[in-house]
Amino acid sequence: MRTVLKGNGAVAQAVRMARTQVICAYPITPQTSIVEELAEMVSSGQLNSRFIKVESEHSSMAGCIGAASTGARTFTATSSQGLALMHEVLHWAAGARLPIVMVNVNRGLGPGWSLWADQSDSVAQRDTGWMQIYCQSCQEVFDTVIQAFEVSQRVLLPSMVMLDGFFLSHTCEDMDLPEPGLIDGFLHPLCLPHKIDIAKPAALGSMVAPDRYMEFRKKIDLAHQQALDVWRKVDSQWSALTGRSYGLLDEYRMQDAELVLVATSTPASTARVVVDGLRERGIPAGLLRLRVFRPFPAAALRNALGNRKKVVVLDRSCSYGHHGAFHQEIKSALYELRPAAQPELRGVIAGLGGRDITAEDLEEMLLRAWRNELSEAVTWWNTLPEAVLR
Amino acid sequence: MVELEPKVLEEVPVTSYSDHPTLPMRTGTWKYLQPRYEDRLPPCSDACPAGNDISKILALLSSGDLEGAVQWLRAGNPFPATLSRVCAHFCEQSCNRDSLGGALAIHLLERFMGDQSPQDFSRMQSATGHKVGVVGAGPAGITSAYLLARAGHEVHVFDDKPQAGGFLRTGIPGFRLPKDILDKEIALVESAGVRFHQNTRVGRDIDFEELKSRFDAVIVAVGFHASRPLNVPGSRQTHVYHGIDLLERLAAGEKLCIPGTVAVLGGGNTAIDVARSLLRIGSTPVIVYRRTEAEMPAISSEIEEAKAEGVAFHFLAAPSKIVQEGGRIVALECHKMRLGEPDASGRRAPVPLPGSEFCLPVSGVVAAIGETADLGFLPENLRKHLDLTTRASLDGDFSGVFVAGDVATNSGTVAAAVGSGRQVAAMVDRYLRDAQPPIENPALPSLWPRALKHDQVADAQSLNPAYFVPRAHYQVHGASQQTGVEWALGEARRCLGCGTCNSCLNCYHWCPDVAIQVDSAGSALGIDLEHCKGCGICVEECPRGAMSMVEVG
Repeated sequence: MRTVLKGNGAVAQAVRMARTQVICAYPITPQTSIVEELAEMVSSGQLNSRFIKVESEHSSMAGCIGAASTGARTFTATSSQGLALMHEVLHWAAGARLPIVMVNVNRGLGPGWSLWADQSDSVAQRDTGWMQIYCQSCQEVFDTVIQAFEVSQRVLLPSMVMLDGFFLSHTCEDMDLPEPGLIDGFLHPLCLPHKIDIAKPAALGSMVAPDRYMEFRKKIDLAHQQALDVWRKVDSQWSALTGRSYGLLDEYRMQDAELVLVATSTPASTARVVVDGLRERGIPAGLLRLRVFRPFPAAALRNALGNRKKVVVLDRSCSYGHHGAFHQEIKSALYELRPAAQPELRGVIAGLGGRDITAEDLEEMLLRAWRNELSEAVTWWNTLPEAVLR
Repeated sequence: MVELEPKVLEEVPVTSYSDHPTLPMRTGTWKYLQPRYEDRLPPCSDACPAGNDISKILALLSSGDLEGAVQWLRAGNPFPATLSRVCAHFCEQSCNRDSLGGALAIHLLERFMGDQSPQDFSRMQSATGHKVGVVGAGPAGITSAYLLARAGHEVHVFDDKPQAGGFLRTGIPGFRLPKDILDKEIALVESAGVRFHQNTRVGRDIDFEELKSRFDAVIVAVGFHASRPLNVPGSRQTHVYHGIDLLERLAAGEKLCIPGTVAVLGGGNTAIDVARSLLRIGSTPVIVYRRTEAEMPAISSEIEEAKAEGVAFHFLAAPSKIVQEGGRIVALECHKMRLGEPDASGRRAPVPLPGSEFCLPVSGVVAAIGETADLGFLPENLRKHLDLTTRASLDGDFSGVFVAGDVATNSGTVAAAVGSGRQVAAMVDRYLRDAQPPIENPALPSLWPRALKHDQVADAQSLNPAYFVPRAHYQVHGASQQTGVEWALGEARRCLGCGTCNSCLNCYHWCPDVAIQVDSAGSALGIDLEHCKGCGICVEECPRGAMSMVEVG
């Protein structure tokens, strides 16, 4: 069914159609309308789900952990400070191997207080064991939430699905809403092998001595490696049903590209126009959108970026003192390439706290890289100049 | 700990778990604070001068046990039907429901229960052989007599009036307290074994010393029946009525007629009752009070009723002279007053404005400026030692003599008289049973802080219908829609049970250590201190404040 939805509305519809059993969430701008719509669906009976009200995001994730431990399909959504507050329990959710799906609407962290798009919140949760998927359209948000439920329950890892605050959460888009039967046929019933069973009493998350702890952690790492393949499979199964697939990486005019922009989320959709324009001017530009950041598709990245001349990585966050996270990780992945195949790699930090990343910005980044004018390894894009030259 | 010994990674479970019970982990050693169940005095009972155990009575009622509720109500108070009609219901003024759909209509529930006939009224305990004499058949004397009779003592009440009831009969007009209601409650007191000796004035018909020798304990509960005299020029030369005398004469059925405007001096309940009674015999009453309405000691709802009935008020005026012509009162000369600094009562003292005299044309004056006790029947040395500030028993020669009611408390309300009678009954019982020196000041339960978790009350928003019905439904007689069983059970269910555990099991559900012990019936709670870490979540989550944390050891 064709319909028009905002990014947040697409999330709520996906959660409804996945027949989510427990929602435990706390509202925060710009995620709020997701929670509002879901609460409305639950109270009106459109969605047969337990909606648990909590007093904080720490409690909302704790509630999700409890619910998911019983084998229920569980969802929450948050943003920014809320995600930061969840940090402790994010580790628990992954360590307990619970297939929780969470939507994080990317937003900057304070101070200074910011409500606008910025990826610092989710990037800071990189090492919690959660899978991370960054979306660029409302349709993709819907599709990804459904896919995430399936992948999570197959690999027993929680998923965090990202959309840019306001740029996507509050932007309307014409999209396709599948018939309910399609989702029911696609999503397998959730059968959590270690779910709470009152017939077999056990203490969950019990203490583990040094002689066994590492094995549990290694299993999380292995699950991430296996998840790469599961994401590919689930994505192609989805494609068979809907005609839409996204891959781990989303390539645009990459076939003969010598100048590549690596971007995530909404700037990647702007970048397509830029690439087209550069191509018209004879510059062999291409776009590589990083969609699945965890599990990290290192081999696919090497494959896509090896033997290119110049690569610019766009980060909407900064690991202060050393690059943006996407830049760091791509750089480390490319280190495995033989020197001759390694492209010239530059990082650009742009759009923090919701500052717009326009087509002109992206074009200038690529042109400057092409002309060898990006001298520094990392450039803070369009910020005020420093008074004293280093 | 994980039990199996895996050889390969695949044999390691997906996440850590243990199928060993956690009981060996005695986390109880971690704590330095521990929770305990502690019933606390709810604000309604704390405010009730009569000491009614309101939350327990309402818990019984809301469970459907109407008879049990009535029994428990009457176990401590012989006058629920009476008090529900004449009390200012201090309980409702402090009800935690106030901001949650309105305070519980406790007085209507009390009336509902008080108007039921209790089925079994035999003595609660077997006869003790002790004999108690009570001087005065007012609310304090009757209450102590009733409770002591139910405790198994032989109780005789001596009273100078033809009928028992004291101020309830003579001082409260029938339009506030129908006398058949009072008769019924006094009949119940008699059925509990109390023997009334009416028309028997101690000091005239029987000597106080004789009482002392005939009884193991004597309770003096004569109340305030002597009017304070009005000392203004002209008051000796003409007939000035005294409030309680007037009320008593009217109560006795005397046909009085005081035509024209009648000044009623005073701001207490007597003044209001007098004014309202005067209206009913065709007079035009005007209440003259030296302070403002805010300082009036009378029950505010009674003031409102008086206004509604047409009683006029003249505030900030004090009488300075009664003007007469030909032996008849023609006017009351008054000073205008202003409010000065607060006096000993905490109220702002009235100060006369010089040169502000004015005349109210009146044809009669009633002084209702306060009452005092007439203790002339007591031996002089006892009167001298009757230190009204200790308000308990006396040692030495007067061992076994107790004082109850207004003489002890000086409070002037029926509820306080009942409460005082109740306290003294407990003291006398202890004195007779254990030959213990009576407790001078029985310890009062600690004040209950208003700290409920209102958000946990499911029907917090349900409204109290009693507050949305016309005033007519509050009439003291006759049935109204607010007196049916259905209504009473529903209203009782609105009680939050402040400070009283009702086995809601919130503590059990919240305890992270499963350290709350619940019996198979889902109640009788206890705390497994070997495993309780002392986190305090149970105390924090108790919706009715019936748990607290104490230091270990």
